[in-house]
Amino acid sequence: MSQNELTETDSLITTEVQTETREETTTTTDTVIETDGLSVYYGDEQALSDVTMEMPENQVTALIGPSGCGKSTLLRSINRMNDQIDSCRVEGEIGFWGKNVYDSDVDPVALRRKIGMVFQEPNPFPKSIYDNVAYGLRVQGLDSEVDVDEEVERALKGAALWDEVKDQLHSSGLDLSGGQQQRLCIARAIAPDPEVILMDEPTSALDPVAASKIEDLIDELVEEYTVIIVTHNMQQAARISDRTAVFLTGGELVEFDDTQKIFENPEDQRVEDYITGKFG
Amino acid sequence: MAVETEQMDFSQVSRTKGIIFRYLSLGASVFGILTLGALLVYVFLDAFDLSSASPEWLLTYFVTLVLPLTGFCLYSVGDREFAQRIVGTLAVGLVAVAVGFTAFETLIRPIPRLTWPLAYMFLVATPVIGYTLFRAIHEPAGNVGFGLLGRLLAGLGVGIAIGMLFHVFDHRLWFLVYTLGIFPSAVLYVVGATRESSVGRFALPVGIVGTLAAVFLRDVIRTYPTDQLVYLWGIVLPVAAVAGAIVYTRSEDKRTAGVVGIVPLVAGGAGMALGSASLPEAAVVIVLAMTTAPIAVFLQKKVAAGDGLEGLILPVILVGGSLAGAAIVSTVGFPAPDPWLDFSYLTNAPSRNAVEAGLYPAIVGSVIIIALVAIISFVLGVATAVFLEEYTSSTGIVGAITRIIQVNIANLAAVPSVVYGLLGLGLFANLLGFGLGTAVTAGLTLSFLILPITIVSAQEAIRGVPDSMRRGSEAMGATRWQTTKNVVLPQAFSGILTGVILALGRAIGETAPLLMIGAATTVFNPPSSLWSKFSAMPMQVFAWSGFPQEEFRYGVVAAGVVTLLIVLLGMNATAIVLRNRSESDA
Repeated sequence: MSQNELTETDSLITTEVQTETREETTTTTDTVIETDGLSVYYGDEQALSDVTMEMPENQVTALIGPSGCGKSTLLRSINRMNDQIDSCRVEGEIGFWGKNVYDSDVDPVALRRKIGMVFQEPNPFPKSIYDNVAYGLRVQGLDSEVDVDEEVERALKGAALWDEVKDQLHSSGLDLSGGQQQRLCIARAIAPDPEVILMDEPTSALDPVAASKIEDLIDELVEEYTVIIVTHNMQQAARISDRTAVFLTGGELVEFDDTQKIFENPEDQRVEDYITGKFG
Repeated sequence: MAVETEQMDFSQVSRTKGIIFRYLSLGASVFGILTLGALLVYVFLDAFDLSSASPEWLLTYFVTLVLPLTGFCLYSVGDREFAQRIVGTLAVGLVAVAVGFTAFETLIRPIPRLTWPLAYMFLVATPVIGYTLFRAIHEPAGNVGFGLLGRLLAGLGVGIAIGMLFHVFDHRLWFLVYTLGIFPSAVLYVVGATRESSVGRFALPVGIVGTLAAVFLRDVIRTYPTDQLVYLWGIVLPVAAVAGAIVYTRSEDKRTAGVVGIVPLVAGGAGMALGSASLPEAAVVIVLAMTTAPIAVFLQKKVAAGDGLEGLILPVILVGGSLAGAAIVSTVGFPAPDPWLDFSYLTNAPSRNAVEAGLYPAIVGSVIIIALVAIISFVLGVATAVFLEEYTSSTGIVGAITRIIQVNIANLAAVPSVVYGLLGLGLFANLLGFGLGTAVTAGLTLSFLILPITIVSAQEAIRGVPDSMRRGSEAMGATRWQTTKNVVLPQAFSGILTGVILALGRAIGETAPLLMIGAATTVFNPPSSLWSKFSAMPMQVFAWSGFPQEEFRYGVVAAGVVTLLIVLLGMNATAIVLRNRSESDA
């Protein structure tokens, strides 16, 4: 608790310094995911239009914008979950460490093993907590190579859930509270050690206390993973993200820059209107 | 303006049509249930020969059985609402008497061989006891008591069914398969799992090699242990081991686990001793093992929970009450009815003499067919449902084909069963040469008959698995098959099982397709292999209904109908329990 307060006051006072270090990191870190002229259509309807952006390693990139602006579509395009939708059509490229994920030699199943995902509603499997976390290791055939017990413990500690569930690893994951279930889903996503974690409004179904725990968690996760998060909550984006992309209706990427800049001094008038609540 | 001139009107809005509709539908369903009830009363009367029961006989059983049972139910429904329930029961009883009197005069009086005490039993005592039983089940004591009773009956049924299967499926082959394949494989697996050693990976190959060796050695080996030893080693021991293991994983208590594991062993051994001494069947061993193991596990669980232990009184009341009643009746010498449906009816072959006639070969035939149908329709039905739900897309040529298949499955469910009989006759009996009226032909024909129902219900169950589960699994990098196997099927399993059991209920009562494929109406020996001629329960009942003697047309047929009904109700009850369990899990 005290640590939380500390970091908050920290960020309030030392804004200048932090911004500087951030700028430094953005220039030096590598780009994990980049989109190039990405357009996505559902049937005749265009959900994303000509989006080009770069998401840097070990940073939190937030995608914000009003409903229907295509931010979730962008997220699902990255790990090709949109393949499930028959009417969905993708143009342009998404690079993952420079490799276009829509190339014909990319197996979406193999791709998803490198890119974890956390959904809006907590969706643990109706299995034990242990089996939930071990699920990724098992389906990816890693359970014979690593010590599953150890990996489960590591993932649960990484998701800040270990202390709460270490005595009931074999009870059902559905018995947990909503916030715990969401952290269980995060543990499940990080157990096979992916490189990127996609989060689709991970706190919108949770109460504020549970949501703030997830936010703290994201702060820690970003040291090891690259996090891309869709959120409706602009304060959340301001609090946790390093870079923010603002989408507006029609699937257009209006502005993409350091979070600080987007929230303090946006270039586009529409972004300012959206952030200050005049629009959307 | 309108507000000033017209008064605001809040008077009654007409609901006449709704009320008429409500009472018409209520009347229709009550009429249907009462008519069916009257028929069932009639059948039960004949099956148990209750019409010739003397009032003394009825009174004896009322005192020894019904009164203690009612007392127990009232006790178990709890003190808190005790008075309320008594009043409620009395009120229900009064209404029931009034309704019953009317119904009796109009519907049941015309039935021959019905006396007032019987009418009272059916119309007042049975519903009231049924109601209190229903309430009592949801109380701790009732829960425990009925749980125990259910395991007793289910164990008995499963044990008898397995015993019957061994009449047909060679038990010596099972002995070899178990000894050479399953046992070493299980030992390897357990050692591999507990010692974290790598021998576990040999479990599957060893099992397969052992099974193949057993099939090869079946005709080579000349001498075998006695049937009793085979059953003790091949069935009682594994059942005991599994029961002990269940208790151990649940409570980590080695002593209790040992006791629970030993109980079926001892009971099985005792059964074996009894079997070789006086009783005819080694199947007794199986029945005892199948009954005692679940009961021991159940008791261990309830004793550990320590709630509602007084419910154990219930089985004592039922068993003790029946015995006491029988003792009183036989010592005092009340004239007892001679029920058609008794033990010898279940174990005798059909006969020209109505008193000696029995259903045994037909019961065995039905059990074999149901086992075949269950396996075939489960595998085919679940596979088809998984394909249709998980592997097809909704667009393009595949989508069009899927829609055609889907519509056709729905239509196939409505095809009359005689037509399936024709299919079985043409395809399985003649073209493929499985023979007229053999168990294989019947099993395949009935599997095809219920396949549409199985597919549709399995589809419903699979569709009921939330999409978020599938997406969660796919986002973890699971393939379609891994998602289906690890997430969808486990979640949908109880729903699938419920549908299959209900469909099996239809298969077990079918007669028309069996007539078409040339099943025998009457056989005097249970089928000895899958390729032998057989009869099934509905076929036998149908045959008896055409006999000229009145004893057959009333007594023997009624006993057959009741047997069939009990089997069906048992299966449906299992399906309901499974469904409730899956709902409470979700």
